[in-house]
Amino acid sequence: MSILKIQGVTKRYGKFVAVNNITFEAQPGRILGLLGPNGAGKTTSIRMIAFITIPDDGVVTYGGEMVSEKSQERMGYLPEERGLYKKMKVGEQLMYFAELKGMGKAEARERIRYWLDRFGALEWVNKKTNELSKGMQQKIQFIATILHNPSLLILDEPFGGLDPINAELLQTVIMELKDEGRTIVFASHRMEQVEELCDDICLISKGEIIVKGALSDIKRQFGKNTVMMDFDGSDAFLDELESTGAVRLGSRSTRHAELNLLGLTTPKHILEVALSHVTNITRFELVEPPMREIFVTAVSKQQGQQASKTV
Amino acid sequence: MSRNKIFVVAKNEFTKRVKTRWFVFTTLLGPIVMVGFFTVMGLVTASSLETTEKIISLRDETSRLGAAVVDPSGKITFKPTDANDDDLKTLVLNGDVSGYLVLPNGLIEGTESARYYSTEGGGISNFSGDLRSIIRDAVRLTRLEDQAVSRDVFDIINASVSLDSIQLSDEGEEQGSTAAYAIVGGIMGFLIYITMLVYGSVVMQGVIEEKTSRVVEIIISSVKPFQLLMGKVLGIGAMGLVQMSFWAVLIAAGTTFSGTIIGMIGPPSGSNLPDSASQAEILDAIGFTIPDLGPEVFIWFVLFFLGGYLLYATLFAGIGSSVEQQQDAQSLMIPVMMPIIVSIMFLQAVLEAPNSTLSVALSLFPFTAPIPMVVRIAMIDVPFWQIALSFSLLIGTFIGAVWVSSRIYRIGILSYGKKPSLKELIRWLKYA
Repeated sequence: MSILKIQGVTKRYGKFVAVNNITFEAQPGRILGLLGPNGAGKTTSIRMIAFITIPDDGVVTYGGEMVSEKSQERMGYLPEERGLYKKMKVGEQLMYFAELKGMGKAEARERIRYWLDRFGALEWVNKKTNELSKGMQQKIQFIATILHNPSLLILDEPFGGLDPINAELLQTVIMELKDEGRTIVFASHRMEQVEELCDDICLISKGEIIVKGALSDIKRQFGKNTVMMDFDGSDAFLDELESTGAVRLGSRSTRHAELNLLGLTTPKHILEVALSHVTNITRFELVEPPMREIFVTAVSKQQGQQASKTV
Repeated sequence: MSRNKIFVVAKNEFTKRVKTRWFVFTTLLGPIVMVGFFTVMGLVTASSLETTEKIISLRDETSRLGAAVVDPSGKITFKPTDANDDDLKTLVLNGDVSGYLVLPNGLIEGTESARYYSTEGGGISNFSGDLRSIIRDAVRLTRLEDQAVSRDVFDIINASVSLDSIQLSDEGEEQGSTAAYAIVGGIMGFLIYITMLVYGSVVMQGVIEEKTSRVVEIIISSVKPFQLLMGKVLGIGAMGLVQMSFWAVLIAAGTTFSGTIIGMIGPPSGSNLPDSASQAEILDAIGFTIPDLGPEVFIWFVLFFLGGYLLYATLFAGIGSSVEQQQDAQSLMIPVMMPIIVSIMFLQAVLEAPNSTLSVALSLFPFTAPIPMVVRIAMIDVPFWQIALSFSLLIGTFIGAVWVSSRIYRIGILSYGKKPSLKELIRWLKYA
């Protein structure tokens, strides 16, 4: 199992720089979360890894060799915008994908059976794609991605459109694939999933990497600066705290809030203010910031800097 | 390995399509429609060339020509009359006679024209030609009589001279009707036209479908866009070739019996099928001269069909990749379609003069070559250097088209949103 390395890669489309001199790597047996706001350059990066486009500068290597048609055969790519041939039968379609990856028919047939069975989809083998629900198609697309036993997996929003039961099944399979020592790149906007699955993070914004490293290290860097609280009663105190500049509010619902402590604000201060407003507090905990918080902080900080630069 | 993947794509495109109802339907019904189409065309041509029986009122104001106005074939009967125009017009409009002919006094001296009134106008059929020669003969005879020239002299002048067309070729002389070859050539040219467009648009549809269903990004993480493009074009081409071969066999079998079939249906004029030369010629052309063509004609027919298909299918695929809907492709297709339209527009001109400068030029210029070249090969002995040059240019242009299209395709299949202009497509060519 091999390391995927992206070294000093730049990609331009005309005058637009989609990705500017980025460097990161994905390790075997680990899942790298590739994150970033829309239009940050994720898809461009993924397409260069998948050898669909070629960098203008820099190199992408897998197992020490430049990505190529050869690495494509060891790679499974589940694009965010994906589809199937509408009028082809599920079995024929999977067989075609397997053949394109250079698999023999007998082996492919066996693995198609195994994976369809694993996803409870064996009876669909002779159905045409346009007879399947979106979730079913989603599963078939995932099977197409892993059918040829790739050692490198690129999964772009693999959970989209799946119900919780199927999402859990998929997550189990992804963790299995990881434990078998495969290198996995996982792109998603769903930060809870990133948090659950990823070992490493690479956060891209406007074509540049703004945060990267092991998820646990990154969280530690940000420190325990977030208060998670559950409460009963009025939540007006949250607005009061925010308006004084003491905190920034992360997620918030009628009885739950995540408060990002700003400046010299202490947890004690928050607790005091809260106590004078709410009827009861059922949880008050100082934690490392959730991934969403890191994402928002890092991206807005970078874009703020860029904005001030242009001003 | 790369050739192998082109093969995998081509095989999939081929088997996927051959299994569809559309393929079975068009393969089986194609020849029926085609035979029907050409039969009707042949019959229409036949009936327009022949003069059907007519009764014509004749008002001879010279009082001298009338007796000489006679149709030698006996199909036109002239009924002398003194009625005025109004009465005659009523007769014509009532359908009692086909028309009426007025021979004015000055006709013999050449100061006035004969006038023929009918509901059909002049038309382009042979009838007006026949009528003119009948009147001309009568006028000549009268004029010669006026000069006291004996009737024998008139017969000498009027004696018919026949001309046999003999086509020279390297293999020797070949006597036969060039019209038959022209019809075969026309059919072949027309077939190439239809199939090039139909199969080309099948390729384009396939490309658009892959793009809009978003399956394409999965595919090109396994094969290069170039391989996908080539596999698609070749696979659909193979499907076309199977279909055409099947038709060719059916048509070959069908032509053996087509004479009988036409004999049974009979031309519109009825059972008294005249033995005139033109009629025989047409029957001959439809049914019985096809086997006279050498095998090289068919080989070139297939090769030029393939060359033309490959060129246009590749270009259509490039266009298809840049749009998301069939309708959006229209405006981009016009410049590509122009040469095909030009070559079918000039089909008649090529049929009439297969060795003219225009015909030679059209059959050498790669974008128009397939149709006129096949027509010329079917009709005449085209110098080998011309065929070789034309085919090489066609293949060379195809390779160039592959280069252009695969560069557009590479970018196009992953571009969604706004439909690109021609200018943008040209810019895509420059991307690495």
